[in-house]
Amino acid sequence: MSEPALTLRGIRKRFGPVVAVDGVDLDLNAGEIHALVGENGAGKSTLAAIAFGAVIPDEGTVETKAVVGLVHQHFQLVDRLNVWENVLLGREPKRGWRIDAAAARERVRALAAQHGLEVDPDAVVENLPIGVQQRVELLRELERAPGVLLLDEPTASLAPTEIASFFRTITALAQAGAAVLIVTHKLQEVIDYSTRVTVMRTGRVVARYDTNATSTDEIARAMVGGEVPPLAERAPVTPRPRLVVRLAAGSFEVAAGEIVGVAGVEGNGQSALADALAGVAPYTGTIELDGVPLDDAVTPAARIAAGVRVIPQDRRDEALVLSWSVAQNVALGRHLTAPLRRGSLLDRTAELAAAQEVIERFDVRPPDPQAIVDALSGGNQQKVVVGRALGAHPKVLVAYQPTRGIDVGAATLVQSRLIEARNAGVAVLLISFELDEIFALADRVLVMCGGRFVGAFDRATVDRGRVGALMAGGH
Amino acid sequence: MAAFFRLRIVRDLLIALVVVFGVGSIAMLLAHVSPIDGFAALFDGAFGTTSEFAETLVSATALLFPALGIALAFRAGLFNIGAEGQLVLGGLAAGVAGVFVPGPPVVSIVVTLVAGAAAGGVWGGIAGWLKARFGANEVIATLMLNVVAALFATYAVDGPLHFATANEGETPLLAPTAWLPTIVPDTRLTIAILIALAVAVALRFVFNRTVFGFELRAAGEAPEAARRAGIDLRRIALLAMTYSGAIAGLGGATLVTGVLHRFNTGLSPGYGFVAIAVALVGNLEPLWICVAAFAFGILQNGALSMQAEANVPRDVINVVEGLVIIALAGRRYVASRRST
Amino acid sequence: MNALAAALVALAALTLVKATPLIFAALGGVLSERSGVVNIGLEGIMIGGAFTAVCVSGATGSPLLGALAGVVAGALLAALLAFVATRLAFDQIVAGTGLNIVALGGAAFGLVLVFGQPGASREVPAFGQTGEGVLTVLAFVLAGALALFLNGTPWGLRVRACGENPRAAAAAGIDPLRTRFWSVVAGGAIASLGGVYLSLAELDLYSDGMTAGRGFIALAAVIFGRWTPFGATGAALFFGFFSALQYTLQRAGIPSELMQALPYLAALVALAGLAGRVRAPASDGIPYIADASR
Repeated sequence: MSEPALTLRGIRKRFGPVVAVDGVDLDLNAGEIHALVGENGAGKSTLAAIAFGAVIPDEGTVETKAVVGLVHQHFQLVDRLNVWENVLLGREPKRGWRIDAAAARERVRALAAQHGLEVDPDAVVENLPIGVQQRVELLRELERAPGVLLLDEPTASLAPTEIASFFRTITALAQAGAAVLIVTHKLQEVIDYSTRVTVMRTGRVVARYDTNATSTDEIARAMVGGEVPPLAERAPVTPRPRLVVRLAAGSFEVAAGEIVGVAGVEGNGQSALADALAGVAPYTGTIELDGVPLDDAVTPAARIAAGVRVIPQDRRDEALVLSWSVAQNVALGRHLTAPLRRGSLLDRTAELAAAQEVIERFDVRPPDPQAIVDALSGGNQQKVVVGRALGAHPKVLVAYQPTRGIDVGAATLVQSRLIEARNAGVAVLLISFELDEIFALADRVLVMCGGRFVGAFDRATVDRGRVGALMAGGH
Repeated sequence: MAAFFRLRIVRDLLIALVVVFGVGSIAMLLAHVSPIDGFAALFDGAFGTTSEFAETLVSATALLFPALGIALAFRAGLFNIGAEGQLVLGGLAAGVAGVFVPGPPVVSIVVTLVAGAAAGGVWGGIAGWLKARFGANEVIATLMLNVVAALFATYAVDGPLHFATANEGETPLLAPTAWLPTIVPDTRLTIAILIALAVAVALRFVFNRTVFGFELRAAGEAPEAARRAGIDLRRIALLAMTYSGAIAGLGGATLVTGVLHRFNTGLSPGYGFVAIAVALVGNLEPLWICVAAFAFGILQNGALSMQAEANVPRDVINVVEGLVIIALAGRRYVASRRST
Repeated sequence: MNALAAALVALAALTLVKATPLIFAALGGVLSERSGVVNIGLEGIMIGGAFTAVCVSGATGSPLLGALAGVVAGALLAALLAFVATRLAFDQIVAGTGLNIVALGGAAFGLVLVFGQPGASREVPAFGQTGEGVLTVLAFVLAGALALFLNGTPWGLRVRACGENPRAAAAAGIDPLRTRFWSVVAGGAIASLGGVYLSLAELDLYSDGMTAGRGFIALAAVIFGRWTPFGATGAALFFGFFSALQYTLQRAGIPSELMQALPYLAALVALAGLAGRVRAPASDGIPYIADASR
């Protein structure tokens, strides 16, 4: 067996108090597609960044003679530049001291054709759909003819048909001799396309498999370190109409006592929908809550007062004040009414009580209302966000990616609380990019594609294949 | 947590001290003056006698007002570099109102001070309105408004607001009932310092206990999260800039009613800019800002003696203050911002 | 008719004189901000350039050497801001404000040290009419060169990438901190020419406060000009026109202070009209910190 293309030995990395990677060895061989799996927070993205060289480990070595490329989970593209400028950034073809734009275009066209990736070199990146943007990111790395290619959650933003096409490209690359590492949590793709699997949990490698000798169940158990805790029971509920939405994207209703799941690939109008419901973006159409119309001039404060709570997609930028304590964050959004507000003052006792309630119901760790939120793990931060929304006993809850980037334990707890809220009569609109989550929680499933609603299903009669096809723009 | 906080304050204080003494010494050497002589003159000028100490407190008060205003705006995520202009216009308003104001001292004083605060508030409010209504960059807006304020004051005091009884560039002497009573006889130290301290305490209360203060801080630290939590960012911007300007204007009014007893176009030797350093050294906390104002008051007042006694040009203080601002720019108070 | 034509020509000429320092400063601001660093310290850099130029010209008798010295001074001041903003990742606006105060105080201090008197220096050898004209032409040439640099050269592309998404630039193997540092320094060198023009071309001395907020108007010109070299130049001409207008109208008996306020008021109106409709470079003003955990 020849030498591995990339070797990681004894890698350790901490960010402040958090140990991201805790003693990892990994070999990556030419010609293989190696899957690196683990829950959110397991350290896989950090390890990939270390292998690429973007992050310097505290201990350990990275050995490789090859050029290493990394396609990031969140694309690192310059939105206002065009495709060839992004692909050739830092390696621009020159004519004298000027950039040779014609040569640049040609090089991108040739490279794209070589790998079967269709792309317009002059298109400005911010105007491209996400699937095409990923092609640009991939081309940028391929331009450097990498012997080692690292891909971080590459299919997170792709529709099912795009995924098949993506893996065709990757498999061809591996067959041509590249060493490919895919960081992912999509176990079916691991089984379908990879040759070896390494499982990480809390910064350590806990299992290694040859793909053809293992199963999704075995890998899942290794990822979680045991059985996954079960979700809460769904109580039989008679739904009463509550929320009626008629937007340009389409019309639907959410009843009190049901969870309506909005399935779709990221970037197909979900953010516009969530922002419209939250009242932070303009929209045409009507939203009615218990018969009371809300047009886009109705402020977020008024909607909150009317009983609408939104869990935003990005907890760090859109939900939390990271430098504040848990208690102060719980008060945020509930500070306008009693019991937390008394006249023009804030009631400290009530604030503390509300925080305690969230901490207990959602098992927030550490269980300290004065703990600074930035020091909490992603899972605990998300529990605070979800807990404060539910603690306000809303009529309507819009949960946008409520378990994004958190560990399985916290995710299951959050999902259980959502089910319990549904049982108690809350109208829940769940917007998620994870089909598994939608199918586990929703009473009804809506599908969004290209900014419109293209399908609706009942829980009893939903067909995964149909949903996948609709998500990709098919019929 | 409290211990960590205090540690950071101490570290920043040390940095400020190093800059003051280090750079100050270098500058003094350049002026062919021994740092020992230079700093001795400075501290002697600041503390030497009762009246000199009182004068230090007067300088501290002059800095404290705009610094509190700047801190309020900063906590809301807004950069108020216009405190100088707000202060000048506040002084002008007080200087004009105070000529006519009748009646018992309490009424006169309240009227003149309110006039100053109102003028400053309006001036700050303009920048706040531009930000709220148009999203205009308040950094540039307040800088422009500073210049316009200075020009307007110069024009007004010799033009439409000119009184026959006044010299050029000044308003006439204030009615005696409008003079702020001194608290140390034969000095210029008046109740202004008490008013400033009261404002500091009130501001601390507003920040920590009121709904408005809560919303203001959220808007400053996490504007997007604040918006989605129902906080009206535009309203906060307008109110924060208005209150900020009002406090600075109040400061200008106390300079007129307490120190000069008239408005003069040379009212402020740049208090509104030095106050930025004071607010930063005070970590944007009202009570710590009081301490910082005292420290800077020593520098401001002592610098005059330093120039007179030891022949060190007083502008070295400005260099030092500017470097302190740069050295303390590491605190990311204002949520990462764009130009507009 | 001839009198009117003569007046208009005079106004145009005066506009160029008033606009030239603004153009230099605005171009420096454009380069800095396109790389991602907001330079509030343009005013201080102009002061540094103006003062140093006068000192060196007075000492050597050569305005050209003075100008070169001014450029070096501007670059050094900018380097301080650049270091603090890139390596230390400090708040750029706070640091820029501090820089202005340092420069103002430093120049005032220097006046006493070098010329023995506060307030203003003595008169020094300065650029004559031709020198003034050359500097104005240089400003326009620099505008074109900067546009060519940003849009046609590899380094310009990298500067733009750093200003929009430094992480992407880093992913492509570029060092955003180094790119930003040198952009700010080069921008400072260009901006300081504005100060040099004020003290050695328009006048022949340095006096306290002679920059009078031009560095801030230049910032407005950068925004007004949508962060492009030609746009900023156009905006600078626009503001310069108002300055020139003030001199002309002063003779008509309108109080000078109100006229002097015109360019600043124009900047305010421009700000209000434009904000929200223009897009700064996406990473403008946001410090870049490598190895950040998320």
